[in-house]
Amino acid sequence: MLPRELETRGVLGINARNQRYTLRVNERRFYPLVDDKLASKRMCQEAGIPVPRLLAVAEVHAQAKRLLPQLSGESAFVLKPARGAMGNGILVIEMREGRMLRGSRVVSEEDFIYHAAGIISGLYSLAGHADAAMVEEKLITHPEIAPLAVDGVPDVRVIVYRGIPVMAMMRLPTAASGGRANLHQGALGVGIDLEIGVTTHAMFRGRTIAKHPDNQRALVGVAIPSFDEVLTTAVSAAGRSGLGYVGADVVIDARLGPSILELNARPGLAIQLANRAGLGPRLDAVDEALGPWERGEPNDLSTEARVALGRAVAHASRPRAA
Amino acid sequence: MSRPALIVGALLVVFGLGVFALKVFRYDIPLVVAEGVGPWQVELRVNVRGSNARGSVRALLPANEPGQAIFDENPTSDRLEFAVREQEGGNRTGVWSGAIGPIHEVVYAFHVQMSAVEVPLPATGPYLDPPAPIAALYLGQTPVLPVAAPEVRKQLEALELPTMKDLPGRIRTLFQWVANEVDTVERSNDDALLVLANKYGSESGKEHLLVTLLRAAGVPARIVHGLELRADATPRERTFSEVWIAERWVPMSTSADGFFARRPPNFLVLGRGSVPNVEATAVVSVGHRYRSLREHLRADEIANLLTPDNAVFEQLSFYRLPLPTQAALRVLLLIPLGAVMIVLFRNVIGVRTYGTFMPILISLALREFSLPRSLALVAAVILFALLLRRALEFLRLLMVPRLSIMLCTVVLSVAGFALVGDSTQNAPLFAGVLFPMVILTMLTERIFITSAEEGVRAAALTAAISGAVAATIHPIFQNAHAEYLMFTFPELTFCAMGVLVWIGGYTGYRVSDLLRFRSLAHDPGAEAP
Repeated sequence: MLPRELETRGVLGINARNQRYTLRVNERRFYPLVDDKLASKRMCQEAGIPVPRLLAVAEVHAQAKRLLPQLSGESAFVLKPARGAMGNGILVIEMREGRMLRGSRVVSEEDFIYHAAGIISGLYSLAGHADAAMVEEKLITHPEIAPLAVDGVPDVRVIVYRGIPVMAMMRLPTAASGGRANLHQGALGVGIDLEIGVTTHAMFRGRTIAKHPDNQRALVGVAIPSFDEVLTTAVSAAGRSGLGYVGADVVIDARLGPSILELNARPGLAIQLANRAGLGPRLDAVDEALGPWERGEPNDLSTEARVALGRAVAHASRPRAA
Repeated sequence: MSRPALIVGALLVVFGLGVFALKVFRYDIPLVVAEGVGPWQVELRVNVRGSNARGSVRALLPANEPGQAIFDENPTSDRLEFAVREQEGGNRTGVWSGAIGPIHEVVYAFHVQMSAVEVPLPATGPYLDPPAPIAALYLGQTPVLPVAAPEVRKQLEALELPTMKDLPGRIRTLFQWVANEVDTVERSNDDALLVLANKYGSESGKEHLLVTLLRAAGVPARIVHGLELRADATPRERTFSEVWIAERWVPMSTSADGFFARRPPNFLVLGRGSVPNVEATAVVSVGHRYRSLREHLRADEIANLLTPDNAVFEQLSFYRLPLPTQAALRVLLLIPLGAVMIVLFRNVIGVRTYGTFMPILISLALREFSLPRSLALVAAVILFALLLRRALEFLRLLMVPRLSIMLCTVVLSVAGFALVGDSTQNAPLFAGVLFPMVILTMLTERIFITSAEEGVRAAALTAAISGAVAATIHPIFQNAHAEYLMFTFPELTFCAMGVLVWIGGYTGYRVSDLLRFRSLAHDPGAEAP
């Protein structure tokens, strides 16, 4: 039976994720910190965690017109809703010969302001409430993985449970995803061996693939640069957020190194497909190592110890050679 | 599932089923209903305004007679005195009297068990002359029955009626002439002579003409006031006639959906003669409306529901509420069933729809319509709004004004459908429906945004799934048995809540999870603990 098979492999379903993890260990009062990207950016800055530079903010309609004047001299930037969900409403702009380009399409000033106004009205926000439009610098993909990135900035999604990194995948934008790194919009999910930081499997629209559909480059066996720092950055940010089950999106910037793009209190489950592994056994192993979860549990492990525990957990749940 | 969820869910289900079982087995409340056998609940509501002078309101009340058995009459008097008067000629009149203040609302509610009445014309004579009391009352001229008018005499001569020896033929000829040669025009004249001159008139006018002609031709006849009871709709006030032949009164109606020598089972007789259904004296204004509701139970079962043997159940019976409240509750109590369906779709199957409760609201609003028509209507409204949304994109309007403009379009398209429905004599499209316009507007916006961000295919797919979910929920809101069960046994709502608690605590896979992760099940390379 299919459900039994999946259960043996520890595949986590949405109901189980919500019941056993997000509803249990993510306290509601910490949600605003991750749902509002401006707040999480501030939080990371206070903790000295690298984040992309904030260039401009418009919280009311009148400010939408004043966004562009603040961006003169920038060569690339990203307009996004502060409380958006699932990558909706994100506009990535490259400046070329004084014109704004989204991919290969020219974006007029009116288009830009109109998009910002839509964001402020709450068109893309989680509950449809009024939102803020924020512009931040466009990060520059680390040269070692730049060849894999088409039309956008890849990031590494790390699931951090009770402060322990348990699973990671690289998300590569494709032509199909329009430069966005969200799997449901057609980005690639590439599983990463947590122990060594090397990619293991790749997935596109739910199917396993070996080569990038846009440029045919090999996706498996790629070493993620600065992977240790990717994990420590994710763990530090997740720890600051107060949430017990977080998806931390880390961009490996050519200049800043691993930086936090955003945190997610309800991270998706497709990471299991990208890693061809269920989250269940790893989450259980963390619970076993740390004991039963308590509200506001103490943070007495060092970041390095957390990463080490995460790697040990990942190692323990590896398939044994037959 | 966690133990507390299991237990709380079980408690709710057990409580609901327990009360349900008690009512079914101990108090014999029926479980299933037979379609179209039950009595009607009818309610007359009169609003009257006065200037504190003494006055009265009179209303014709139905009486027991062949074809209708009245029971459970329930008048309210709103500070006035109420009395029933049995008048000569058989009419029952309810009279509310007293000092009429600025506003009074009096109600007269009753149940009536209806059946068809067949009164065939006798095939053979001889036909005796009507007895003196009948002749005195039903052959003469009255202010509204101008029996002696020369035009009436002339018309009778022109018709070359059969002789009195063929009384049935005489009646038939007159009936057929009025039914076929005089047009029925709603809200037009009801004066017999004007109708005769114009060859058209209102239903009441035609019946007055028929009675006038019959009396002039020597056949006793009278006007009957009644209600045409209709399921799920306001009853219509109707006028028809009765003719006296061979010791009995034969009913007939000359209107387009008329009848002869029988009375359909949904025609309730209120009273006879040239009296209005409701009238008032010494008041500033008076207005009235009838409401009716078709029961699916037999009369004895209704009586049991109204006054069960248990005092608590009697207090809690919804059957004691005023009719409009009952009608609303009958629909509202179906919502928990819809909610269970939604939760099954979302948390057990794992389908993505636009708006969590959108399918319920759409199904609720369109419960009067068949499923294909409902879906077509919603699709048409959304299509209009989507086209407009596309056009509005060029104007670059702010979101709330833009959404408001779309809301206006949705309102206009609904209004347009009402017009189309009226002109095509179709069932009144959208009439009397609080259509969820805001929901439709937001739905259109979501479809537009999804198609822009994730492609038209993704948007169409989600729209199709939403439609499919609505299609499976829609029949619930049209099901008479479900309506009866939830209304008669509202404790079943606790069972629904228990099931919702169970599903809320369900940690197993959704069908969508299984589809999504199925490749991990048989993959030897996949990790296993």
